[in-house]
Amino acid sequence: MHHCVHRLTRRHCLKLLTAAMAAGLLPAWPGFAADSMPWQKPIGNSNNTLPVIGMGTWRTFNVGSDRQLLAARTELVKAFFALGGGLIDSSPMYGSAPDVMGYALAQLGKADSLFAAEKIWSPAGGSAREQVADLQRRWNIAQFNLLQVHNLTDWREHLAVLRELKAAGKVGYIGITTSHGRRHAEVEQIMAAEDIDFVQLTYNIAQRDAEQRLLPLAAEKGIAVIANRPYNGGSLIKNLKRRGERIPGWAAEYGCNSWAEFLLKFIVSHPAVTCAIPATTQLAHLQENMRAGLNPMPAAAARQQMARFIEAL
Amino acid sequence: MTSYASYQLQDFVPFSAEVYFRLLERISESWWPLHVLSLALGIAAVVLALKNRGRLACLLIAPVWAFVALVFFRQHYAQLNWAANYIAYAFFAQAILLLLPALTGFGLSKSAAATMPGRGAVAIAMGGAIAVTGLIVQPLIALMGASGWQVQVFGIHADPTAITTLGLVLMLLRGWRVWLLAAIPLIWLLLSGLTLWVLQATAAWLLFVVLAAALSACVLLCRFLSAAGRTR
Repeated sequence: MHHCVHRLTRRHCLKLLTAAMAAGLLPAWPGFAADSMPWQKPIGNSNNTLPVIGMGTWRTFNVGSDRQLLAARTELVKAFFALGGGLIDSSPMYGSAPDVMGYALAQLGKADSLFAAEKIWSPAGGSAREQVADLQRRWNIAQFNLLQVHNLTDWREHLAVLRELKAAGKVGYIGITTSHGRRHAEVEQIMAAEDIDFVQLTYNIAQRDAEQRLLPLAAEKGIAVIANRPYNGGSLIKNLKRRGERIPGWAAEYGCNSWAEFLLKFIVSHPAVTCAIPATTQLAHLQENMRAGLNPMPAAAARQQMARFIEAL
Repeated sequence: MTSYASYQLQDFVPFSAEVYFRLLERISESWWPLHVLSLALGIAAVVLALKNRGRLACLLIAPVWAFVALVFFRQHYAQLNWAANYIAYAFFAQAILLLLPALTGFGLSKSAAATMPGRGAVAIAMGGAIAVTGLIVQPLIALMGASGWQVQVFGIHADPTAITTLGLVLMLLRGWRVWLLAAIPLIWLLLSGLTLWVLQATAAWLLFVVLAAALSACVLLCRFLSAAGRTR
């Protein structure tokens, strides 16, 4: 495992130092030492890094204009940044989620650590450029860090536009997404043939198809990987809790004190995975998720032990 | 894994139960006390149907469908699900379809609902029961498990509007026209039932029961009452 090797720029070190100092001023979060910051991984072959735990918004941030729920989600975003979070991922397919992010950012101010990830999705209508402009307005930000082609819809056309936007400096990174293990052969072809920075795919302890070809290819080509559905749509963690399964004692060695930490640490400790994007509406769950980003992390042998443990249940 | 086999029902519901029930609540709060008027309209429509005043009954409920399309779907539900805009078009279409019998008498039964013989009477009685379910039973059941504002009301929310209208269609129309005017309410109940199922809401079972009863009554009416002379 080389997970402790980070290529940090001076600018990033200063950011981390500032964040660590700020953390000391924040109210105490359960399980977080004042000086603890989430593990960061490099984005592909670049010098930039990302905290390994991000945040998804599917279902959880689609609250429309409900003031009560808008305030609750704003608190969630505030806590996410306070705990060192970076990447937030959304899509025009997620209903009002981009607007809710815009509301939260307007209330909180744009955090330095925000890594805003959006998607182009053909059924949303309009051209890729129109969608990007609309989403920037809805998020209330000038520019996205990452734009992805959602579920490979019209990916050739959209990727061409995203490449132009990147060349013009209007987006930092571009990529493609898939989920539920769909169309992996096509994803592999795109990863092999196209110049992309990110791939987003489903990878969790119960759904490990990506380990066969996509993750090794991502590592080889220097493509950053976002793992979606880390709890398999929630069913993985719900089933474990409903059955009253206990976390194995040996997992404590890797800082796994909750099933959230166990499941997320398994994902983000894969050398090819850059970050995971669990979604939640609960502050307590967010705290559990973010604790999964803290060292120590399991190495290869421990990861195999974790997978075998879940398979045996 | 094939692309389509990997989709689950929950992939098509982009919001949580908390958000959906808050949506119902917010619509109720916004439009109170219109509920009293819409409920009175619904009851009046059922009474008119029993008295074989079908044209007037349809005339009363047609604008209700346009209102639900605009307020429930376009103004509120569409914030959560882009597909709601298309469902709003379907609800507008139902309003127009209801104007057909209201203005021309298209498909309406000549004889009073209460005088229908045999299996037709069973189907019409089922229609009456379904209409009452939409107007009274569903809100009462909801009251037992939810806060007052989350109770859905005919003319304000989509489910009771569709249920009551289905009942009225069964009471008033005959032959294939029953299917024409029942199709949109039936499809909505199916979609809404599946949504509630995904959200693990117990209210889903009521929609599925009404759906099954309405489908059975539609088949009965078409099979036994489509003979010439029963329709205009």
